[in-house]
Amino acid sequence: MPEPFHILVAEDEALAALALEDFLSIKGFRVTLAGDGIEALERFAEDPADLLITDLRMPRMDGHALIRAMRERCANLPVLVMTGFLTHDSDLTHERWKPLEILSKPVNPQTIVSTLKRMLESPQGQSREA
Amino acid sequence: MAMGLESGWDASDFVPHGVCLLWRTDILALHVAADVLTGLSYFSIPLALLYFVHRRRDIELGWVALLFALFIVACGSTHFFSVWTLWNADYVTEGVVKAFTALVSLLTAATLWVLMPRLLALPSPRQLAEANAALHREIEIRKQAEQRYAGFFNNLDEALFIVSIQPDGQFVFDAINPALARATGLDPEQLRGRPVTEALGHELAGSVMAHYAECRDGGVPVDYEEVLDLPAGRRDFHTVLVPVRDADGRVVQILGSGRDITDRKRFQEDAVQTTKMATLGTLAAGMAHEMSQPLNVIRLWTENMLTRLRDGAVDSDRIERAMTLVINQTERMGKLIDHVRMFGRRDDGGYCGFAPGETVRNALDLVRHQYELENIALFEDVAPVSGEVRGRPLQLEQVVLNLLSNARDAIQARRAAGGDAGRIDVVVQGDATLDFAVIQVTDDGGGIDSAILPRIFDPFFTTKDVGSGTGLGLSIGYGIIDSMNGRIEAVNVELDGGRRGVCFTITLPVQPLSLQDRELSHA
Repeated sequence: MPEPFHILVAEDEALAALALEDFLSIKGFRVTLAGDGIEALERFAEDPADLLITDLRMPRMDGHALIRAMRERCANLPVLVMTGFLTHDSDLTHERWKPLEILSKPVNPQTIVSTLKRMLESPQGQSREA
Repeated sequence: MAMGLESGWDASDFVPHGVCLLWRTDILALHVAADVLTGLSYFSIPLALLYFVHRRRDIELGWVALLFALFIVACGSTHFFSVWTLWNADYVTEGVVKAFTALVSLLTAATLWVLMPRLLALPSPRQLAEANAALHREIEIRKQAEQRYAGFFNNLDEALFIVSIQPDGQFVFDAINPALARATGLDPEQLRGRPVTEALGHELAGSVMAHYAECRDGGVPVDYEEVLDLPAGRRDFHTVLVPVRDADGRVVQILGSGRDITDRKRFQEDAVQTTKMATLGTLAAGMAHEMSQPLNVIRLWTENMLTRLRDGAVDSDRIERAMTLVINQTERMGKLIDHVRMFGRRDDGGYCGFAPGETVRNALDLVRHQYELENIALFEDVAPVSGEVRGRPLQLEQVVLNLLSNARDAIQARRAAGGDAGRIDVVVQGDATLDFAVIQVTDDGGGIDSAILPRIFDPFFTTKDVGSGTGLGLSIGYGIIDSMNGRIEAVNVELDGGRRGVCFTITLPVQPLSLQDRELSHA
């Protein structure tokens, strides 16, 4: 049995993070939670993840800053952004941030799982040798 | 008897006066000519006097002129008799005529002396002319003064009116000026001299007369704002009534002046609405975020439950927890929606008493999450206030939101300049002894330049970049607090750790809760 994929979830809304953790665990993922960008970087340093799920608006370090910092550490890390409100000045839709997908809150958990699988299985998104 | 008389008047024993003159023709001619001319002249003078008295009937003492006429006629008669006695020796008749003349002369002379003081008092034509000229000057000065006042009354843009108070207390319009006619659409001719109740109609008269009565009964100037439904439409007026008293101290007249403040009122309302919408706009982004969070939580938890149900892993405790959580999240969203709905609505509601602490908490709830995201710490110390303040709660909330928004802007500007900032302190205190409630919002955004500090409540004054602030927020806040009979002030403060910032203080008068309110709040 292959080792489960490790997902790092940066989400300041604890209830949402817990539900996500619960759901993804059922689906066979290993989940690490972080309350903001800085905590996410710390968790990643301790235990690198295969994919980052992040909110955009968070205290201390927001999603944009987290993604920029993450790209410096791991250029090919797949990032799934879940946001309630994508401001029009955000450039996350730009090519250079790929592999990156954006889902609007409220998100359908089934969509999360299918998006995660697609990103983790695509050759571009391979962050580790299968 | 006839014989007796004849003998009395008999002049046959006398010789005519011509005998004395030895019938010298030249001397006779001289006497005749002189006496006839004098007599004729004397006779002509009364004619002139009679003519004068007849034409100038207004002249006092006209009867004196008649006395003079009689006196002169008598004198003239004696002269004619002197001619007659040159040839006829009727000396007795002449004597009677002379005696009559003496009597009239005596009477005239005596009358003249008796009347002397009154005659002296008669003004001379020159005096009369001078008095007349003085009167003309006086009239001219009065006319000019009247024109000046009429100019004021007719040309001033202030709506002016004069109301007289009848002995029975009824109000009657004396005059209204053209500015009032223009502003109200009322016809001056329809108003002048008519009772207010008749001239204005029942409803309008009722609302203005309440103030007239206050001015009449109080006897002091009355100053108020009123909304009137006039022929020109619904207008707002700022009106001042001044009582005018008579010598007995009774208020007999009211001088009124009114300024049409309809446009100013509308502008204020619009400006309040505009800032409200601008604040709402900046809140919209945060609101979308706020709404998506609970929705997201609900979605994730219900999906989790559904998955477990389908897998047959039913755990009633877990389901109950999830359902409670979902209900809590929907409540959270409901509150948000209520808030946005109330905030966007034009606040036409009337004044009411309310607890200031609750309003401040509402404002804090609106921004709390957004500020957390921006690493701005909100410290609140909201003490219960015994009693309530009066005003419109949503307006006070808007003022507090505006202060919070300014505090955040200051903190962000300070950070952008490389400074360390990120704390807002909000304090609500009630001072039971002084009947005041105090709301303080303090930031650590570096403070305001002391040169511009006095101007921050001026309309359109802004320190922000073009487009990022209307400069109306604080001035409107000032107006709102002022309408609640409160004060708002700003001072620079030194905070611990060398930080600096601004402290805004709102002071509002507090009314103790009525007994009924207290019972209600206990129930």
